Amino acid sequence: MTRAAVLGLLLALLTIPGCGDRNIPPRVRAFASLPNWTGLWESELSKASATLSGHSDSASVDAQILKSVKLIGHPPYNAEWEQKYQSTVRARAANAEATVNIKNCTIGFPIVLDAPHAFQIVVTPEETLFVFATGGVRHIYTDGRSHPGNDDIWPTHMGDSVGHWEGDTLVIDTVARTSGPIWPSAVTADLSEQAHFTERVRMVDHDALEDQLTIEDPLRFDRPWQLLLRFSRVTDLNRMIPWDCEDDRNPIVDGKLSIAPP
Amino acid sequence: MYPLRLVLASAAVLSVGMPCEAHHSSAMFDAQKSVTLQGTVKSFQWTNPHCWIQLLVPAGTKVTEWSVEMGSPEQIYRSGWRRSTLQPGTSVTVVIHPVRDGTPGGQFVSATATNGVQLGVAGAKGRNP
Repeated sequence: MTRAAVLGLLLALLTIPGCGDRNIPPRVRAFASLPNWTGLWESELSKASATLSGHSDSASVDAQILKSVKLIGHPPYNAEWEQKYQSTVRARAANAEATVNIKNCTIGFPIVLDAPHAFQIVVTPEETLFVFATGGVRHIYTDGRSHPGNDDIWPTHMGDSVGHWEGDTLVIDTVARTSGPIWPSAVTADLSEQAHFTERVRMVDHDALEDQLTIEDPLRFDRPWQLLLRFSRVTDLNRMIPWDCEDDRNPIVDGKLSIAPP
Repeated sequence: MYPLRLVLASAAVLSVGMPCEAHHSSAMFDAQKSVTLQGTVKSFQWTNPHCWIQLLVPAGTKVTEWSVEMGSPEQIYRSGWRRSTLQPGTSVTVVIHPVRDGTPGGQFVSATATNGVQLGVAGAKGRNP
């Protein structure tokens, strides 16, 4: 065999998949190095509610909520906000009607992670997407960028997220979330626009992800609020079923939730 | 340490704060009461944020239309329901928690066909699409 023939044979071998890395595009290599979180996921609350038909058993569901929803909790408020929190608890206990006659069609961060709906995670080298059945999307940019400058950023219900990988753990930094309560229907944490969220998301096993969430709020909290969220793989759906308020038949009439005719 | 009374009050407030459906609290319904409705399906509304059964229920010489609120399509689909589960004209028995204000409506608890089979039970039709 001539030298040219041998060289040709070697070159041909290198073009066969698996025979050499030099022909693999860098982006494909980057993709291959990332963890595979493909599929649908859900919070513990979603898992609990999916076992019930809608919200058919209020007592059971409420009990599950108290167990499941980490973000409906008591954050480490500073003295000023602790006083407000306790006043709100007392006011709402005295007037439960005010608490219950509220409805929501926009499910923002971070409660969207604890909402009773499925979501999909799409991992790419440039960004990781959390695509929620509720219509919202978290874009977590992992291309090395920082948060935008002051003139280019404003509060939104999902905030602005950037991230990086530490091994198989996605570290997410989120700022610029719209101020206000995490969930308007309950006595939940009330966050300022300066709230800063750090998450460490990793796959615990094939069917479980965990999200170590730390919330710092210099205007509201005395110290960081640390929460552990867990997500389970959805095994009884093979596609996203969207949720919205397109045909809302629960108008608030005279301050009370009601049922409208079809 | 907070007084126990306040802690319990907090729990009570929190417990009705977020339903397992994201749209609104279930506290507009009286979970302490169950009403059994025997009627005929007028329509089965497969919509967000809630699915609804419009049920025509005879009482004496009158027929009253009841609105039965269910979960979202995502939730009831996962519990075994399909758009075809109820057809107009079908006779069915539906148990609800009634609306507190007396409106003919309520929160879905269960539905049973005339042959005694409970409708939409996860697993009965298979949960995988």
